[in-house]
Amino acid sequence: MELRKTTVHQTVEAVLEGEITAHQLIEKTIKNCSVLNEGLNIFTSIAGVDALEQAKAVDRKIKNGEKPPLAGIPVAVKDDLCYGVLPTGLGSAAFNEFMSPVTAAVVERLMDAGAVVIGKTNLDDMGQGSTTLSSPTGSTVNPWQAGRTAGSAGAAAVATGICMLAVESDSGGALRQGASHCGVVGLRPTTGRISRYGLNAHCSSFARVGVTAFSSENISGILDLVSGFDQRDAATAVCREGISEIIKTPGSEDMTIGYPVTAFDHLEPDLREIFEQVRDQLSSRGYRIKEIDLGLLREGLQAYYVLALTEASSNHARFDGIRFGKGRETDSLEEMYRQSRSEILGKEARRRSIFGTFLLSKGNYDRYYRQALKIWKLVRQHFEAAFNECDLLMLPVAKNLPRPLKGESSYLDQWSDDLFCAPVSLSGMPSLCAPAGQIDQLPIGMQLVGPPFSEKTLLAVGSTSGPRDMGESPLSQ
Amino acid sequence: MKYEVVIGLEVHVELLTECKLFCSCPNRFASEPNVNTCPVCLGFPGAMPQMNRESLQQALTASVALNCEVALYSYFDRKNYFYPDMPKGYQISQYYIPLGSKGFLEIEDDQGSLKKVGIGRVHMEEDAGKLVHEAGGEAAARSSMVDYNRAGVPLIEIVTEPDLRSSEEARRYLEKLKSIMQYAGVSDCKMEEGSLRCDANVSLRIPGDQAFGIKTELKNMNSFRAVEKSLDHEIKRQVEILNSGEKVATQTLRWDEDKQETIVMRVKLEADDYRCFADPELAPIELTAEEVEQALQNLPEMAEERAHRFVEEYGLPEYDAGVLTASRCMADYFESCLTLYNKPKEVSNWVMGEFSAHLKNAGLEADQAFFRPEDMAELLKMIDEQVISGKIAKKVLDKAFESGKKPRQVVEEEGLLQISDQSELEAIVDQVIAENPDTVESYRGGKSKALGHMVGQVMKATRGKANPQLVNELLVKKIDG
Repeated sequence: MELRKTTVHQTVEAVLEGEITAHQLIEKTIKNCSVLNEGLNIFTSIAGVDALEQAKAVDRKIKNGEKPPLAGIPVAVKDDLCYGVLPTGLGSAAFNEFMSPVTAAVVERLMDAGAVVIGKTNLDDMGQGSTTLSSPTGSTVNPWQAGRTAGSAGAAAVATGICMLAVESDSGGALRQGASHCGVVGLRPTTGRISRYGLNAHCSSFARVGVTAFSSENISGILDLVSGFDQRDAATAVCREGISEIIKTPGSEDMTIGYPVTAFDHLEPDLREIFEQVRDQLSSRGYRIKEIDLGLLREGLQAYYVLALTEASSNHARFDGIRFGKGRETDSLEEMYRQSRSEILGKEARRRSIFGTFLLSKGNYDRYYRQALKIWKLVRQHFEAAFNECDLLMLPVAKNLPRPLKGESSYLDQWSDDLFCAPVSLSGMPSLCAPAGQIDQLPIGMQLVGPPFSEKTLLAVGSTSGPRDMGESPLSQ
Repeated sequence: MKYEVVIGLEVHVELLTECKLFCSCPNRFASEPNVNTCPVCLGFPGAMPQMNRESLQQALTASVALNCEVALYSYFDRKNYFYPDMPKGYQISQYYIPLGSKGFLEIEDDQGSLKKVGIGRVHMEEDAGKLVHEAGGEAAARSSMVDYNRAGVPLIEIVTEPDLRSSEEARRYLEKLKSIMQYAGVSDCKMEEGSLRCDANVSLRIPGDQAFGIKTELKNMNSFRAVEKSLDHEIKRQVEILNSGEKVATQTLRWDEDKQETIVMRVKLEADDYRCFADPELAPIELTAEEVEQALQNLPEMAEERAHRFVEEYGLPEYDAGVLTASRCMADYFESCLTLYNKPKEVSNWVMGEFSAHLKNAGLEADQAFFRPEDMAELLKMIDEQVISGKIAKKVLDKAFESGKKPRQVVEEEGLLQISDQSELEAIVDQVIAENPDTVESYRGGKSKALGHMVGQVMKATRGKANPQLVNELLVKKIDG
């Protein structure tokens, strides 16, 4: 059974029917995973025996007549999501042996449904970035082109067919950039739809837990399982009384897709052309395309970074060496903080903490932080206004092709890659990244953004748009 | 030069909730370190805070009890600074919008008239843990340990306007605040145990000046008495500085209880920068006007109302009512006694007198004494039943208070039963009459005081155990024949 070519539904059926046991499936997955991980550096830890035990437990359940809805489905979990069985690395060199007492809500839900965690996936320094270039354990290689980053390791795990699902965080765009760069589908949900309990967020206001899979259908099949109220995450209170989904079926009714023309002006011509093709394809499939005005992308990007840096400076303050880290004996408390924090936080995380501290300091609060809050609100209003004119809108994901693994790119260059993703994060709206086309064999994704709780519509549209199949990534063999 | 004293107080009060503010760990003292902790109050990655409604309810009750305006919309901020007892590197507090504001409470000023002390804000926040230092040894001197049992315990901070004009007013304010918090049922306010903590800001100015003088901040006072004393000490110090033509420096001072003086902790060049911003992990705090109104309606009886009721319902003198309601636990104690022994004035005398004296000596509150209301009721019943005399009862209370034994047990063990056996007493009475012929004569001559003297002699001979009424009767009968 080749995971890339079957759906989650088909795989679960096969396991429930006894065509393959969960144990056999996971054994094969782990073997495949170990081989591919050598060259691609996708995982920070691989489950091995624990995953096999879980798979056996699933098989026992099936024998007892239960029908776990995700029986035996191999899942990758980003390493900023706590999981009590494997070390939770957080993207810190000092956390390589940290066993968390917490298991993330989303992981619990998937495991309860019979899914099996294969491993923890690589991430940037303290989860801060959309490239994995700042990871303390080295970058993840793009399975489509060895010299480039994957964007997110979870996307690479799915693109290579190692796992059928990846759960990942997305603050400024990591999940979406990864899906775009690896040619898979990634969903960043509406604020409050999926519990973030167990996520070490660097930026709580914008961090969401999302799902990456090979197809929209695969995400549709599990969305309800991971959605809904969780008293441990205050933001999920919006789902306390259930979720009021906005469901529109493509083709069955008049659906308008907003096309913010000026946004695409930020792209090089060859990239822009891809989106124009998708737009025309959608039009020929019966969607109404409406050119809309969506300003404030650049301002939104800047506001995102002001807010993300300030929150990181506070969220990461707990890593002071008192309870976490190696425990240093120093002459002063100050010196202990300095040594411990230098060990726990890498260069990028330190930079962000220092900038964040500066941005919140007396005088700067009004100059930067308060202004960023205002822009945040304006961006939200812009998106809300846009959805008065259309049912959903399309945007690029990445401004550029995936960053090369070697060679210089400044942190500011990397931050500006989030031009199309960060403003969507500010809006709080759900965004689906789905394949749009290819340039020199490298996949290019697009964002479909909709009003709150329109995920099911986005997934339905996502499954009919873009190229049918981009082929297999060359490095997944 | 005569100066006007300007004092403002910042009081932290621990709320009496079941759980900590943002997790379900018990809000309770534990002698073993770090047992009342969880990933949330230890600041573990991935653990998220959730406000418990009980804390909000109590903070709301406190706000309305202090006549505050209540914000229907407020939220939590993070106050960012590093300290080992603070697990997250920030304290969750309310900085930009406090739950309560523009409140007041009333005290007597130094001239004896009623004065409103403005309360600028009442806000919710979480407590920090505690640093623990092991005694002795070089290793111990170089290391500190942290106990996070207290981390995340709900507090309210109550900040006055700079309305207090003397150290005595400050003490009266604290006593009043404590009474209100206790009556409202939101805190036990035991300063010695840290459930009420007070910092003071003090400055001097020329009477009539509008501007305030340079203030200093006082910390580490662990009793109301220490607050008063340290303020006196600091006021004197500032007067001396100003009189010598110098300027007071902006400082934080620590009260040293052993040396009875203030010691400079640090000199502040500029105000601390806590980089406060709204906590993005917590939902805003939203209340309805109805909930605030409900809190006001549900406010328990306060000290004045209770004193008034004691006068009306139990016919107590106003003085008694005032003393008994000085603290809620004393008033509760009194009323518990009454449910078992319904003679209000008798109970009042004993509670205000002997019982209070013992509490004061032992440094205890009424609810902490071994001597429970049922013991008081039993003691008073024994007097009524003439099992013991009032005088012996005092002895019994002494013993029972200290040992925790039941009054009846004390009476039995100590052989304090009253002698009401006529034949036993007659022998003693006869002896006293025989030994005091002069006194007998003067009694016969009309001096009634002489009888009292002889009763005293009999009591002395029986070590106080004789039934005084019976002795009286016997003496009269025998002398008058």
